[in-house]
Amino acid sequence: MGAKSLSLSFQIKTECNVSKARSGLMKLPHYEVKTPVFMPVGTQGTMKGLLPDQLESLDCEIILGNTYHLGNRPGTDVLTKAGGLHNFMGWNRALLTDSGGFQMVSLLKLAEITEEGVKFKSPYDDSEIMLTPEKSIEIQNCIDIIMQLDDVVQTTFQDYDRIKEATERTSRWLDRCLASHKRPTEQSIFPIVQGLLNEELRKQSAREHMTKDVNGFAIGGLSGGEAKDDFWPMVSLSTGILDKHRPRYLMGVGLAIDLVVCVALGVDMFDCVFPTRTARFGCALVSNGQLNLKQKIYETDLDPIDKNCSCSTCTNYTRAYLHSIVTVETVACHLISVHNIAYQMNLMRTMRENIEKGTFPQFVQTFVSEYYADCEEIPPWVINSLGSVGIKIVKM
Amino acid sequence: MRFSIKHATLGSERVGTLTGFTKSPATVIETPTAALFTQGGSVLHLTAEVLAKVFSTPQLLWVPVSNSLQLEPGMKAQGEGVAKFVGLPQHLTCVSAHNMNEVTPSGHFELEKVPLWTKNGKKMVNADRYMDLMEVYKPEIILAIADGRTALNEGYKRIMKSLDRSCNMLDTCVYRYKASKQFRYSALIGVIVATGMPKRCNESIEHILKYKDDLTGVALAGLTDGTDEANYLALARIESILKTVSDKLPKDLLRVIEGCWNPAVIVAAIEQGWDLFDGSYPTKLSNAGHALTLNFDINRYSAEPWILDLNDVRYKEDFTPILEGCECLTCKKHTRAYIRHLLNTREMLSSVLLSIHNLHHFDQMFVHARQHIAANTFQIYKAHITKQYESYKLPQATNGFTDLKESDIKMNGTTNIKKRLRVSDDEITSPVVNGIVY
Repeated sequence: MGAKSLSLSFQIKTECNVSKARSGLMKLPHYEVKTPVFMPVGTQGTMKGLLPDQLESLDCEIILGNTYHLGNRPGTDVLTKAGGLHNFMGWNRALLTDSGGFQMVSLLKLAEITEEGVKFKSPYDDSEIMLTPEKSIEIQNCIDIIMQLDDVVQTTFQDYDRIKEATERTSRWLDRCLASHKRPTEQSIFPIVQGLLNEELRKQSAREHMTKDVNGFAIGGLSGGEAKDDFWPMVSLSTGILDKHRPRYLMGVGLAIDLVVCVALGVDMFDCVFPTRTARFGCALVSNGQLNLKQKIYETDLDPIDKNCSCSTCTNYTRAYLHSIVTVETVACHLISVHNIAYQMNLMRTMRENIEKGTFPQFVQTFVSEYYADCEEIPPWVINSLGSVGIKIVKM
Repeated sequence: MRFSIKHATLGSERVGTLTGFTKSPATVIETPTAALFTQGGSVLHLTAEVLAKVFSTPQLLWVPVSNSLQLEPGMKAQGEGVAKFVGLPQHLTCVSAHNMNEVTPSGHFELEKVPLWTKNGKKMVNADRYMDLMEVYKPEIILAIADGRTALNEGYKRIMKSLDRSCNMLDTCVYRYKASKQFRYSALIGVIVATGMPKRCNESIEHILKYKDDLTGVALAGLTDGTDEANYLALARIESILKTVSDKLPKDLLRVIEGCWNPAVIVAAIEQGWDLFDGSYPTKLSNAGHALTLNFDINRYSAEPWILDLNDVRYKEDFTPILEGCECLTCKKHTRAYIRHLLNTREMLSSVLLSIHNLHHFDQMFVHARQHIAANTFQIYKAHITKQYESYKLPQATNGFTDLKESDIKMNGTTNIKKRLRVSDDEITSPVVNGIVY
C-alpha cells in the first residue's frame, strides 16, 4: 500500500454471486462512503435550494461540484481563500468534482478544443478561460476525488477520426494531469474511460488507464442520448476490463432503471442532475416512474407522494398541496428535490442491503416488475443487459 | 382566541398576548409581533423542515387569500383548514383578502365585490364568498374583507366608494361570523379604510366600532395601494396618522397593520400601540438579496449599516457571517461570501439562507421591543432604531445588477423574485412558467 491509499481505500464487502454487483466501503479524507452510491449534483457549490444539513439528514455521503463552473464563479482565488470548497459551502462530508470536460459538449458553442486544452468563452462576459489538464487539477484543491480533464464529444457523434482523436487525447491529458498532481495523499484523480460507442476505442482507453497508478476509474462519454442497446454494452465492456479492486464511477447516469442495471454490471458510483432537475418541473420519483404533480388529477389527492417514503416531504405534505404550488413557489422545488434525493438514496441503500443479504437478483426482478407495471412489456435492453450478468427477468 | 394587554406604559405602547387557541391551548403569542408572511400557504422559500430550524414554537402565519386561492379544492377535500393543508399544522393562521405589498391593476371593482389578483388571474369576491372561503381556510384570525387598497392621496370619489363598499362588506362578514358555529374559534378583525381622509376614516372607524363586541381587533388599511409611493411618505406623516387613528380606538382591541413597513415605521407604530404586523418586510428583503443587520443594543451605538446588499461585489471574499453574534442557522454556518456567490449564480439557496436570517432577525426586533416596553425604556429603543434607519442609506450594487437599488426593497418584489428564481446556466433549457424561469 502506497501513500495514495491515504486518499482513498476501497474495500469490497459483499459480491453478488450471480451478477457483477458488489457492495463496498470507500474511505475518503472527508467521509466513509458506502457503495454502490448515488451522488447528487451541486454544480455551483449548492444543492438546488437545500441546506447542507438537509443533505446530511437525507444520508448523502458524497456530492458533486463542477470545476468549470466553480472556477468561473466564485473563482479559484475565492475558493482557496475560503479554505476550499468544503468550507466555502459548509459541507463536511465527501466531495467529488468533475473536470469540466462535459461542458465541452453542453457549452460547445463557447469552447474551442486544442491539444493544449480547452478555451472557453465565459457565458457571462467576453473573457476567455484556458482550461488545461494542469489548470483543471490546480483548481480542484481539497476535493476528495477529482476527475482528469477529458476530451468529450457528443455520445451520438459519428466521425470516427474525431472520436479516436478524443480518446487518445484523453489518455495524453491523463498523463499531464497525473504529472501535475501535487496532493496524491489528500485526493485521488480518476481517469475517464472514453471511446464513445466504439468498442475498440473503449477497450483501448480502458486498458491504457488500467496501467496507471490511480485509485479508481470513471466511465465517461455515455448517457448522452444514445440508444439503450448501445449504452449498456459499453458499460459492461468497461467494467469487464477495469480492475475489480478499485471503484468504478459511471458519469451522468441517475435514472432508477439505469442505476439498477448498471449496479448489476458492476458499477459503484453514479451522479446525475436528473432528480433535482425534474423536481423543478414538478415531477416526483416513485417506484413505477414519476408523478407529474402539475396534472389536474392530483388537485384533491390527499396522499403523500409515496406512502412508503419517510422523507420530510412525504411526512408533511400531500400531493394536492404540492399540485397547487409546483412550478410557482420555490418551496415546491425544495420539497420535491428532497423527496427525489430521498428516493435515490433509498434505492441505493436497498440495493446495498440486498447485495449483502445475497438477494440482489430477486430484488432486481421485483424492482423491474414494479417499474414496468404499467407497461405492456419490459424493454428488451433491460432483459438483455441483466441477462448478460445472469439475472433472468420474467414479466410477472 | 383572546387578546389581552399584559403591560401598558404611560405612553400608548403595550405588551399583550394572543391566547386561547383551540388547537394549541398552551400557546401564547406575545405582541407586538409580526406574523410570518406566506405565499401559496408556505413561508417564502422555507419548507416545514427548514422553518422548524428557525422557529421551534408555533408561529402566526399571515395568509392572503389572493396568493393562496389555488389551494381551495385541496383544502376543501381535506377539510382541516389552511395550516394543516400547507404542511404546517402546528402553526396558527391569520387570513386577509389581499396581499397589501404588491402592485395590482387599479379599478375593476363591482358593486359589492373586490378583485383578488390571484395566480390564475382576477377573481371577483364578495363578502359572502369570502366568508365561505373562511369556512374552508379555518383561520384563527379572520381579517374582514374590505376595499382598502387605496393610497393616502387617493381621490375623494374613490375613497367614498372604498368606504361604502367596506362598510357593507363588514356588515355581511359580521352577520356570517355570528351565524355560523364554524367560526366559534376564529377571531374577526374589522378593517379601517379611507385612512388618507380624516373625516372618512373616522366614519370607517365608527362603523367598525358598532361591532365592537363581536370583533377582537381592527386592522389598518388605506395607507397604501401596494405601490412604492407610500414607502416614501415622511415618517412624520405616517406617525401622525397612526396616532390619530389609535387615539380613537378602545384599548382592548388588537391593532393590526397591513403592508410592508420598514423598521422606523414599525417602531413608530408600536409606540402608538399597534400590536400585529403582516411580516412581508423581511420577505421582500430576502427576495432582493438584502440582509437585515439592525443593532438592538441601546448601549452601543455604531455606524454599522443596518442592512446589507449581499449582491455587492464587496462581499466576494468576506468570510464572516451576515451578522456577528447572530444565533440563526445562516449566521452560524455560512458566510457573506457564500451568499454573495449564490446570489451571483442565481441559486435558490440564497433566498433560503437570507430568509432564515431575515425572519430570525426581524423577530428579534420585536423581542427587544417587548422587553423595552416591559422595562419602560421603549422610547430609547425607538430612537435607537430610528437613528440607524435614518443615518444609513444602502449603497448601490456594484456588480452589474444596477437594477437592484434601495428602491427595489420597498417596491414590489415580484420582479426581483422573477430575477432571483432564474437558475444557473446548466439548465439553459428550462421552460418559462408564468414568467418565472425554473
